This record gives sequence, C-alpha cells and structure tokens, in this order.
Amino acid sequence: MAGFTAEAGSARLFWLRGGRLLTGLLSLAVTLLGLLVFTFILSHLSPVDPVLQIAGDHASESTYVQVRHELGLDQPLPVQFWRYLVHLAHGNLGISRLTNSPVASDLLRTFPATFELATCAMIFGAFFGILLALVAAWKPGSVVDNIARMISLLGYSVPVFWLGLLGLLLFYAVLHWSAGPGRLDDIWIYTLEPKTGLMLVDSWLSGDKEMFRNTIAHLWLPVVVLGLLAMAAITRLLRAALLEESSKEYVTLARAKGASRGRILLLHVFPNVRGTLITVLVLSYTSLLEGSVLTETVFAWPGVGRYMTTALFASDTPAILGSTLLIGGCFITLNALADALTYLTDPRTR
Amino acid sequence: MKLLLPAIAVALASSFAAQAATPPDTLVIAQSIDDANSFDPAQGFELTSVQAFTNLYQRLVQPDPKNPVDLQPTLASSWQAGSDNRSLTFALRDGVKFSSGNPLRPEDVIFSLGRVVKLNLDPSFILTQLGWTKENVDSHLKKIDDQHVQISWTADVSPTYVLSLLAAPVSSIVDEKSAMANAQKNDFGNSWLIAHSAGSGPYQIRKYIPHEVLLLSANPTSPAGAPKLKNVLIKNVPEPAARRLLLEQGDADIARNLGADQMAALKGKTDVKPMAIPMASLYYLQFNIDASPALKNPAFWEASRYLFDYKGIADDLLKGQFQVHQSFLPQGFLGALNDNPYTYDPAKAKAILAKAGLQNVSFKLSVSNQPPYLDIAQALQASFARGGVKVELIPGISTEVATAVKAHQYQATLNAWGADYFDPNTNASAFAYNPEDGSKTLAWRSNWHIPELNKQTLAATAESDKEKRIKLYENMQREVQKNSPYVVGLQARNLIALRANLTGYIQGINPDMVYYSQVSK
Repeated sequence: MAGFTAEAGSARLFWLRGGRLLTGLLSLAVTLLGLLVFTFILSHLSPVDPVLQIAGDHASESTYVQVRHELGLDQPLPVQFWRYLVHLAHGNLGISRLTNSPVASDLLRTFPATFELATCAMIFGAFFGILLALVAAWKPGSVVDNIARMISLLGYSVPVFWLGLLGLLLFYAVLHWSAGPGRLDDIWIYTLEPKTGLMLVDSWLSGDKEMFRNTIAHLWLPVVVLGLLAMAAITRLLRAALLEESSKEYVTLARAKGASRGRILLLHVFPNVRGTLITVLVLSYTSLLEGSVLTETVFAWPGVGRYMTTALFASDTPAILGSTLLIGGCFITLNALADALTYLTDPRTR
Repeated sequence: MKLLLPAIAVALASSFAAQAATPPDTLVIAQSIDDANSFDPAQGFELTSVQAFTNLYQRLVQPDPKNPVDLQPTLASSWQAGSDNRSLTFALRDGVKFSSGNPLRPEDVIFSLGRVVKLNLDPSFILTQLGWTKENVDSHLKKIDDQHVQISWTADVSPTYVLSLLAAPVSSIVDEKSAMANAQKNDFGNSWLIAHSAGSGPYQIRKYIPHEVLLLSANPTSPAGAPKLKNVLIKNVPEPAARRLLLEQGDADIARNLGADQMAALKGKTDVKPMAIPMASLYYLQFNIDASPALKNPAFWEASRYLFDYKGIADDLLKGQFQVHQSFLPQGFLGALNDNPYTYDPAKAKAILAKAGLQNVSFKLSVSNQPPYLDIAQALQASFARGGVKVELIPGISTEVATAVKAHQYQATLNAWGADYFDPNTNASAFAYNPEDGSKTLAWRSNWHIPELNKQTLAATAESDKEKRIKLYENMQREVQKNSPYVVGLQARNLIALRANLTGYIQGINPDMVYYSQVSK
C-alpha cells in the first residue's frame, strides 16, 4: 500500500512538473508572440517610409510602387505579419535592408560579441558585487559599508558612455594597460577564422598565444566598465536583502548562542537570500545582454546592441524584429531559468 | 582585500596589452561604416560605399584627382562625339585587365551600364537621365569592334554632360564574366557584388563584415599601377573620440569625420596632421511655401537671408566644420559662385518684413535631432528671434524628417544636400528644377513652381561649350540666391586627421574622390 502511494506520488509529481514545463513553454511562446506583435505594430507606426529608404530620393513613382510591392508593404498589416510568421517558422528572419544580408546571419555574427562581453562583465560584476555586499553587510554603518555603498552608487550614477571614454583615455592612451577600441588588433584580422564568434575561444583555438593575449587586452576594459554597472546593482540589492535577513529572529538566536558574525553571515544569512540573489543576477545579466549599446559604441564592439540601434535609426524592420526576438528570447529564457533555479534550490517556493 | 583584487586583475590584464602600431604594409582608417549597404556600384550610394568605389573600380573617364573639373581618359583612351551630339564612341585602353585577370572588352562596358538601368536601384537615376529605360538601354550601348564601344542617348543633353555622368561611380566598369559567374536569378551579380568587387581599380575587396570592417587588398594588375601599400583596412569605430585616440596612439593612420572638439584636441600635436576638406555638401534652410501665406512671400525669403547668422555658426558654434557659402553650387564645382553677399543683419530683416506688412511671423522648423542639424537649428531660432520671427523647433530622427518633407508635411526644414555626381546639374536639378512629373526635387518639396528656371536647367545640360555652361549656372545661382524659398548658408568641411608620416593621400570635394593608391608611410 505504502509502495503504491509512493508510486502514485511520484507520478503526480512527474505530471505536475511536466505540466509546469508545458505551461512554462506555452507562456514563453505567447510572450514572444506578444513581443513580436508589439514590435511589428510599433515599427509600422513609425513615421519613416522604408520604401524611400531603399528606393532613394530620386526614385520614380513606378520604382516606388515596385519596391513597395517587393517589400510586401502594399498588403494589409495582418497579412504582412502572417507572412513574417510563416517565414519565421521556416527559420527565415528576412533580409536586413541596411546590410543587405540575412538577419539570421547578421545576428549569428553580432550576438557572440555581445554574449562574450556581457558574460565576462557579469562574472566580474557578480564576483565583486557579492563580495562588496558581504563586506558591507558585515558591519552595517561602518566606514567599510559606507565605502561599499559609495562605490555601488557611483556605478549606478556615472554614465557608462563617459566612464568608457575616460577608461580608454586613461588605460589605453595614457597608461597603455589596455588595447584600443575593437575586439582584436588589426594584424590578426587577416588570420583569424571565426569558429564560434567568441574571440576568447577562437583565439585560444587558433593556438596563437599572442592573439589570445591580445583578445584579453581588448576585452578587459569594456568588461570592467560594463561590469561596474552590474556590480552596482548587485551590491545594492544584495546588501539590502542581507540586512533585512539579518534582522530576523533566528539570527538573534544564533548570536545569542555565540556564533561568530562571519559564520552567521556566510552560513545562515547568505544562503537564505539566494532567491533574491538569483533574481538580481539574472536581471543584471539580461540588462547587460540588451543594454550594452553605449559600451559597444565607445569600444567599437560589433555587438547586437549596436546592430539593433543602427537598424532602428534606419527603420530596418526585419533587423529590428529579428534582434527583438533574439533579445526577448534571451530575456524570457533567463527568467525561466531563474524561476527554475529558485524552485530547485528553495523548498519554500514549491 | 577589495582594492587588492581589482588591482591584481588590472595588473594582470595590462601585461597583455602591448602598444601596437599599424602594420607597415596596411593603411588603417578609423571611421563609421554603419551606413554602407552595398559595394555594388549599381547600388551603393552611401558615403562609405562611394568612398570605396574609386579604389575598387575604374570608369571610362575620371576626374583628375588634383584638378577634378578636368576629366581624364581612364579605361577609354579616347572618345569621339557623334555628328548629332547624341552619341559618343570610346576607344578602350589596350591591355587592361580586371583583378580577376579577365581582359577588358566592350561587352563589359555594355554590361556595366546596362545593369545599372535594369537593376533600377538607388543611383540609377544618374544614367536614366539620358532617356535610358530597361527596355531600350541595350539599343543605346553598341559594340563597334573589339576595341570600340558606342553609347547613344535620346535626352537633349550634350556629350560634355554625358561624360560627367560616365565619370560618376555608378558608371564604374564591372568585369562581366566575374559578376555573371556569381549571378543569381537575373540579378546581374548584384547579391554577390554587395560584398565583393570585380573591377580594375588599384584595390579589391578581400573581406567585408557589415558594421565591422572593410579590408581591401592590392590589385597588382590595375591599369592605375600597383598601389604603394598592400592593404587598406577600414574599421568601424562609431565614436569620434575613440577614433581620435586610435590615431593619436598610432593604431590608425587616418581618422575620419571628427568633430570640432576632436580637432581642437589634436591641435599642436606634432605626430598628426589635421585637415579640413571642403565637401560638396550644402546646409540650407528651406520653406514649404504652401504652408502659410508668410512663407510664400518673397519678402520673407529675403528677410530670412539676413537672419541666418552665417559667420556665427561657421566660426563660433561649429568651429571649422563649415565655411560660409551662399550659392547652390559648392565651392570646387564648375561654375560655383563663391561670393557671399548676405550677412547677419536683424535690423535690415525687420525693415524688409515691416515694408512687406509681415508681422508676428512664426514657423515650425522640422530638423534632425542629430548634430550638427539641431545645433544649427537652435542658433537659427535665436538669430531669427532677434529679427522678430518666432521659430518652433520640431526635432525628429533624420529619416522621419526626410519622410515628412517628401510628403509636404512640414513648414520649414534645415537640411543638407550632397552632390550625387560631379557636375553642376546635380545641384541645379535639385534647387532650380521642378518638372512637376513626380520627381521630388528640392524645388518640388518647397512647392515652388519655376517654369523659367526649369528651362535654364535643361538648357545648361544641353550646352556643350564649357564657358557658356559656366555663365548659365552663374545666372541661375544668382537668381536662386536672390529670390527663392531657400537660404543656402553653409558648406560642410570634412574634418579628418592623418598620422604625420603619411604621404600621398588625396581627398577631393566629392565623396568618391578618395584616393588610397599613392599613400605611403
């Protein structure tokens, strides 16, 4: 009987989990569709005429009509959207009007650059952000806490554009500690064959140690600039969560029992704010993935942020939709991942 | 601890950075290449593409780099106008080979000019002015023998004018065999030529990654002779301040499109050479004369010419980026008027407005929200206010403003006009021509009806005599300068800086006049 109950229980759990997964996937698809509809409508509300963008100032009326027809813009909006969806289902994101190449290949080329930058910045930001938050929560109100708060406030308030230029001026132009804008020195551009699009991996695989070192020389400064942004967010939110958790009764009890401040913070309080930590980390990461356009501009980093911004200015609808889909997909997937991680690590959420 | 860790990280990372100089056989250029959409001469019409064409392709005739108003035989060795002035027969230069090794044939000329018309892309209007259409173009391009090709046209234009059009980048001669070997579905090789080249210029495209890099390598068989440097690497550096840093550090040999602040920062540095090169780009204020009765009144147009603070904007606001220029042909063009009769004089403007009974005039100025447009517009707002004219700024992204202006949905706009080819007609047919046939010329955008100027514009293209042409254009410029719904105020300068060790770089007034082949360092 007991065995039967356990079996039934595990089957129920299986269906429950399967159901959750299905619901998750469904909500993912609906959210992405909503995002696409929204972006599609917005890009068509834009007062910019994409036909003029292509046909040019001097196009005759017949050319204008012909280009409009070729772009499918003479069709009603729902028809245009349906066509886009059908192409999308076949893995075709369309041709960028700006680069004249398939949006999918443009994204495959630009996304790894952003991914590499954002991931490294995230690792930097998470490491120092958590460290700074712990140091600050160790002795709230102390000099160390105030310094930590000041650093995180600076990270929040200093414009990343300005910080990037300043960083280049100091570390590249004056101290020569960093390489200049771009992902690699010019001499390597002839030889490097991109395999993954991640410069760290590609230069490592090439077996050329100089190239690998050069990649790091180019990478570290934008990583630190962007990482400071993530660090600021992580420090502030995590510090607040740690302090709030520290005021709970079990902490007082632990103190009364004679546990050291460090032991309490690291072994009791810190594990209990993991839900907040996961959320903060994921939110920071997604904002780095989508919002590094200014850093990419200053550091001549050919990432997806710049690709999308250039497309926006040129009213390049297929490129705008493709990038939105990619970034939206990343955002939703990472959020789902955060939910799953919280679910797995925190029994209170089950 | 927390200060130590970043210090270690920075110290470690810095050990990887080495001060680099540009490779000795490569010209490294830092500029924005975000505008480039195609390197096919039948399609590319943006700055980055056009700057590359002269280095990738050759035309039958081309402007002399040192004196652009003189056309030089390039792929043609000589030419002869037909007796009816409606055709030109070209003798092709001997022994010319494309970068592929294929020899130049009359078929290549016919293919190159024909595909421009048949593809009907952005710059095709330059050649369709000759009366060429998809249907008839083949009958206007004729092979005489293996060394001669004849070009004919129906439009009432002189052979002199046709030569100017054949000297434009759109008339670049493409290697038919290479292009057609890569053609897809009747595209005459267009999709391949977007990122490849098939010309006889001193360079060829080795690698092109949109928004990232354009790498050119030498074409040793070019009739222009092998270039001095083996490679030209044009890298996308969108931020002007970063371009300046790259140049200062020796990581770039040329930094393009710098701002006035970058130029000021480079002043006095011995290892860089800043240059301000006049461009065929005019900044002008334009009124939509049907938007209000005041905007239609010639007295208001005249008053506006005294309310544009030319010198204040050129010298103080946008130091060095502009020079004062008040006629519709930029300095450097055949027949350009370079005297500037108007100065900022609000009192005189007020008197003109009062005499015409115009009171409390106001207008909305649609303008791109990008520099320098918005800066100039704000300066105009202040200078017009001193003359009693209220200007309301309507900033928008440039494509949005352009769309509104081309739909007559504006009152006034501040814009720039760049020459499409190196002939005075490129601007005359914009400022002084409104054929009312659907062409959205600048005059059309102003709703300005000018049958007399239309005739003059056409007559100037039909005129073969150079001196007579100059006279015609001078008269038209004076007329437009005196009485038109435009205030042409400024001519742009391209602010660039070179490493001091660079020699042989030539850049002319038109965007295609960028010559890399004689550069050495």
